Amino acid sequence: MYKYLVCGVFAFLLTLNIANSDIINKNVERVIDLSSQLVKISATITLENTGKNTESSFLVILEPNTLRNLSYISVKDSHKDELKVTPVKLEKYGDKDVFSVKLNQQLAAGRTAVVNLECIFTNTLVPYPSSITQKERQLVRYFGNHYFYSPYITTKQTTSVVANSRSIETYTKLKPVSQSDATITYGPYTDIKELQISPMTVHFESNAPFLTVTRLERLIEVSHWGNIAVQENIDILHTGAKLKGPFSRYDYQRDTSNNHHSIKSYKTILPAAAHSAYYRDSNGNISTSQVRVRKDWIELELRPRYPLFGGWRSSYTLGYSVPSYQYLYKTPAGQYVLRMRLIDNVFDDMHVVELETSIVLPVGVTNVKLNTPYQVERLSDSLTYKYLDTKGRPIIRLKKTNLVEQHIQDFEITYDWQPILLLHEPILLSIALYLLFLVVIVYVRLDFSLSKAEHVKTQ
Amino acid sequence: MVTMLGLNKKSQSNANAEKQETLLTLSILTLAAILSFATRLFSVLRFESVIHEFDPYFNYRTTKYLAEQGFYSFHNWFDDRAWYPLGRIIGGTIYPGLMVTSAAIYHLCWLLNITIDIRNVCVFLAPLFSSLTTIVTYLLTKELRNAGAGLVAAAMVAIVPGYISRSVAGSYDNEGIAIFCMLLTYYMWIKAVKTGTILWSTLAALAYFYMVSSWGGYVFLINLIPLHVLTLMVTGRFSHRIYIAYSTLYCVGTILSMQISFVGFQPVQSSEHMLALGVFGLCQILALVDYLRSKLTQDEFETLFSALAYTFGAALAIFIGILTFSGKISPWTGRFYSLLDPSYAKNHIPIIASVSEHQPTSWSSFYFDLQILVFLFPAGLYFCFAQLTDANIFLILYGVTSIYFAGVMVRLMLVLAPVMCILSGIAISHLLTKFMKNVEPKNPSEHHHKKKKLESNLVLRNEISAAFVGITCILLISYTFHCTWVTSEAYSSPSIVLSARSHDGGRIIFDDFREAYNWLKMNTPEDARVMSWWDYGYQITAMANRTILVDNNTWNNTHISRVGQAMASSEEKAYEIMRELDVDYVLVIFGGLTGYSSDDINKFLWMVRIGGSTDRGAHIKEWDYYSPSGEFRVDKEGSPTLLNCLMYKMCYYRFGQVYTEGGKPPGYDRVRSAEIGNKDFELDVLEEAYTTEHWLVRIYKVKDLPNRGV
Amino acid sequence: MVDVETMVRYVSPVNPAVFPHLTFVLLGIGIFFTAWFFVYEVTSTKPTRDIKKELLVSLVASIFSGFGILFLLLSVEIYV
Repeated sequence: MYKYLVCGVFAFLLTLNIANSDIINKNVERVIDLSSQLVKISATITLENTGKNTESSFLVILEPNTLRNLSYISVKDSHKDELKVTPVKLEKYGDKDVFSVKLNQQLAAGRTAVVNLECIFTNTLVPYPSSITQKERQLVRYFGNHYFYSPYITTKQTTSVVANSRSIETYTKLKPVSQSDATITYGPYTDIKELQISPMTVHFESNAPFLTVTRLERLIEVSHWGNIAVQENIDILHTGAKLKGPFSRYDYQRDTSNNHHSIKSYKTILPAAAHSAYYRDSNGNISTSQVRVRKDWIELELRPRYPLFGGWRSSYTLGYSVPSYQYLYKTPAGQYVLRMRLIDNVFDDMHVVELETSIVLPVGVTNVKLNTPYQVERLSDSLTYKYLDTKGRPIIRLKKTNLVEQHIQDFEITYDWQPILLLHEPILLSIALYLLFLVVIVYVRLDFSLSKAEHVKTQ
Repeated sequence: MVTMLGLNKKSQSNANAEKQETLLTLSILTLAAILSFATRLFSVLRFESVIHEFDPYFNYRTTKYLAEQGFYSFHNWFDDRAWYPLGRIIGGTIYPGLMVTSAAIYHLCWLLNITIDIRNVCVFLAPLFSSLTTIVTYLLTKELRNAGAGLVAAAMVAIVPGYISRSVAGSYDNEGIAIFCMLLTYYMWIKAVKTGTILWSTLAALAYFYMVSSWGGYVFLINLIPLHVLTLMVTGRFSHRIYIAYSTLYCVGTILSMQISFVGFQPVQSSEHMLALGVFGLCQILALVDYLRSKLTQDEFETLFSALAYTFGAALAIFIGILTFSGKISPWTGRFYSLLDPSYAKNHIPIIASVSEHQPTSWSSFYFDLQILVFLFPAGLYFCFAQLTDANIFLILYGVTSIYFAGVMVRLMLVLAPVMCILSGIAISHLLTKFMKNVEPKNPSEHHHKKKKLESNLVLRNEISAAFVGITCILLISYTFHCTWVTSEAYSSPSIVLSARSHDGGRIIFDDFREAYNWLKMNTPEDARVMSWWDYGYQITAMANRTILVDNNTWNNTHISRVGQAMASSEEKAYEIMRELDVDYVLVIFGGLTGYSSDDINKFLWMVRIGGSTDRGAHIKEWDYYSPSGEFRVDKEGSPTLLNCLMYKMCYYRFGQVYTEGGKPPGYDRVRSAEIGNKDFELDVLEEAYTTEHWLVRIYKVKDLPNRGV
Repeated sequence: MVDVETMVRYVSPVNPAVFPHLTFVLLGIGIFFTAWFFVYEVTSTKPTRDIKKELLVSLVASIFSGFGILFLLLSVEIYV
């Protein structure tokens, strides 16, 4: 799917790329946010068309070897409208990873436009040293570029790097540069050539939770008796610096400061209408969780059975129910529409390596149509048999890798369904019971004895 | 009711009475069955649907395997997670009845698309079977006496604590279904004795097969039934009915029981089964003698009889002698000796004596588990003697033998509880029937007055009867309250999750065991080997899925002893043993911070005893671990051997800095009520890998050998 | 994406709040008829047995019990 798209766009854009070089970055203000486990880069770019032709798109290019860590990319124009971003391959840039962004309003010659680029990278902050003892601080390193990496000439640019704490060990000093609190400001730099790289390193202390969801299985079950059940099987791993040497409970209990690289608990957000939530693992309930009801959501403070240190993993199951009117709609045409989140919040600044969402539809649905907010891999559908099923319920299975918070968006499933099918289960039960009664009726009429019983004879 | 118009009035009223009685019986039985299920759910409601204790975890694990892999791979299962490096052949060393039953229920449910979790099947199996036991008790008592006694017995067995103790929800153990099987077999057997049909005796054999497949306690059954037959012979009640019943049961039952691979050829080889074989032979001889006597004259018969008797007797004695000496007949096993002689195990096999459920029963626990049944039991026995029948003799034998065995071993209280209920049911029902007749409502009719004058020799007949009935009611009510209280207080804690009351009355949950097992499961290599005392073996394999050295199936004494030696030795010696056994992690249970008294330090003397009971551990002497004044102490007065052994160090590592109770010095052990004697020490060969929140479970990692030259 | 404005929210045909009450009533009636049926089966003899009555009573019993069990499942949050 992805491949075809690339090829198509490739052929199309090949003809355009020469004209594109007329664009320059008049001004770039870039913020690299390193305060969580993710690297969030946002850049406000002022584009100027110095050529003679009107431009309808421009290019965004990633630094070499960063595509596999790219989780999310979006470009907005000055009206905060989302612009269409498509990956392309251009001969001019070799095997570099290029995205073409289509502008909503064409950029006439000599005019400028302001766009907002947002990229989120995972696995980019590397703990250094990679293993520490319980008492040591967790330090991480970030490798980047002092300059904004662009296929165009940049006239002026500034970059500010926001670290997690004030204790910054070292950082590369390409002048002009200044540090105040946790922020390092690079620039302004002027007249940077295309595709210019100047390696930047920032080494600082970070006590942000380095927690990765290695696998998230989200199961959504729809019942037309008015309930949608959600269950999430979650495997998590602490991806910070590995714990070296012993774990001492005594030291752990004495250290009451909140700034520690181990993770004691984290917060999950559930929908406001969620009820009967459970939190357990393969060995039963985990009794350490707290529910706080906020105005628009429910906050669940989850404590794993044990504090998580670097390299430790844990897995659990979280489930809850929501009433169907929250997410299930009926169209005037008599179709049903399920609109729910493809992935929901696990914790703030989360990083999900692999997501598999399964949606179990009621018995007897037909004409299922799926609409997703972004590209996902659709696995083959399957059938499941739950309580009192004879025909089985269809499961729609979706898969996606490398997700972050920005992926919390709604998918939509449309299907046809007959309300009379609600009676399927009770009638099934009644028939089963009636058969039992019939067996009894037949049984009492059977007579297995070889000879007539005494009292019958005498009668 | 409209359809009965054709009948005359008398039969209609009869039919109505019968109808009422049936309805009453059905509803009482249904209620009793529901009650017996419901009363066992305390732990599920209070905690959660979780498997309890130790052995049930093994059963749960094997059931899961059976349900997932199918019977054949279960049968051939070689478990490399246990008894490292020996492993264990699971299929051939367990009674599979329990697992097969729950796997069958599980598959049946799934067949009907009831997608129930296998764990829930396991948790609720025991309550389900106690409901069935209630019904079977009714049937059995009805056969032995009458329906009224049956109902009382059923109601009593539904809530008797002695049985509840091993059948609460989550207590997923063999005994849970075995009691049902046992009573079912008895019911079939009594039916067979009464009718003398092959059908009932074959059914009895099938029930016996189910019993054999589910519990080692079947030995009691296969000795009790022959004993019954023998008693009937001695009392001159032997008849063709009994001949048919026993011969069929023995032949079919024995052949079936040999199909269980754990039982194998024991029914014809081991001494525990010899009574059954002997009685079977005796049955044939007696039948032959009867036959011959009917064919021959008196003189001829006597000559033949004496000749045959001597020949056979001598031949039999020689035959048995040869078999015993050649080892074909297995020697008497330790467990059996300890049944006959309560002090046997303690003196000879420390591992048997170390199990608390193998201890002799105290009088208080009889009352605790049976309450008024203890007093009603003799009365029931009396009523049985008063009306001696073939079936009653069985009941008397069952009662007398089981009360003896229950006295020997706490665990066998379980076998006693049903018969106590049956006999008490008979007693209560008999007495109440007698006295209820005399409690008549005041009837001012003339006829009644006349009658009363005639029976004036019974003073205050009505009042005394009413008083008696009242007292009985009070007794029964107190029994109900007692049972509920015992169930709720004593038998409904899962022991995997502990709970305590905090100062302000709230409930604190100690979930440390699962915390530790989960940690092991998630954060140690898949093939890590964990050393712990054998109590926790089953739990570690089931919940943490890691390889362990010893577990609750204590078949290999020397291996357990080796672990005991490691725990009781100094660090260097222990390190040698741990290297030898390829240990990666060591797990200890420590209650000093919370006051959990059944921790490893309190079990430590058993480790010393068991460790010292084999040749390789001969250097470990129990006396070295006592203080000079002969006490087991962990404070400064304790013996230096104890204060420097591995177990002590693992339990108290860094504990010396912890303040546990206000007003006490740091390192105050709340279980032993003492400040520990050895505080500041470092571990050389181990490092703390994990300690749970309340310090209940401590896990240590065994360090690698130091690099050469460092 | 379909426009939300044109659609109505889907609610259960039976209000979940009344599930327990429905369970109680329906199962109660069901159990009553079941008991009637069994008592009739046990107490009646061959000549007094009426097939029509048996079939009718058991039919009523099974319908009520069937729906009762369904609502029991629903009220313990097993949404079929």
